[in-house]
Amino acid sequence: MKNRIKVYRAMHDLTQEGLANELGVTRQTILAIEKGKYDPSLELAFKIARFFGVAIEEIFLYGDVTERK
Amino acid sequence: MKRNTFYLLAGIVALAEVGIFWLSVELERPILIQVAFVLGVLLLYAARRAVEERIEDERTAMITQKAALRTLEVFWVVFFAVSLGSAVIAFSRPLGLRPPHPGPPGTAPPDVLELPFIGGFALFQMALLCLMIFLYVGFRMYYARKYGGWDTDEEQD
Repeated sequence: MKNRIKVYRAMHDLTQEGLANELGVTRQTILAIEKGKYDPSLELAFKIARFFGVAIEEIFLYGDVTERK
Repeated sequence: MKRNTFYLLAGIVALAEVGIFWLSVELERPILIQVAFVLGVLLLYAARRAVEERIEDERTAMITQKAALRTLEVFWVVFFAVSLGSAVIAFSRPLGLRPPHPGPPGTAPPDVLELPFIGGFALFQMALLCLMIFLYVGFRMYYARKYGGWDTDEEQD
């Protein structure tokens, strides 16, 4: 599963540490999600989406990105 | 409690356990070290919960679960294999937990397992438990690496 956390993080001028603190997880978890090595639970995915104020599918892209178009 | 304070406390508890172990051997009272060990572990569990900067999230919980499961899967096979070997040794001759009956006059005493062997087996069991710890740490490292725990990124520079 791909995601655009890094993009949204940059848009909100947040570091991985800052985002991790806001979500109550470790920085390594944010790093692992961004690199696609760990898929977050549905709860954490919703938390991330709500934190950035967007729909969950704006951040997490299931399968190939081209499938959305 | 800070993380370093916890490590200091863990070191002190470990040293105390070593001292109590020898005291237990000197006094020939195994209950002493058994109770001290359980109390020491409980103390460390309680202290670990009081560490301030410790953050546990779903990813670290998953790594812990997977490492524990794999350790159990490997360890039970090793432990069972060793226990089978021990059972063969134990059943191959009469147990010698107490001095054997000398038997009829003029015959050799029966061949029994001696007490030092049992002490040696206790040490062997402790070595197996150490193996379990090494297995667990190894699996933790493996899963932490697999799920991106030690990756580097631009923010670490």
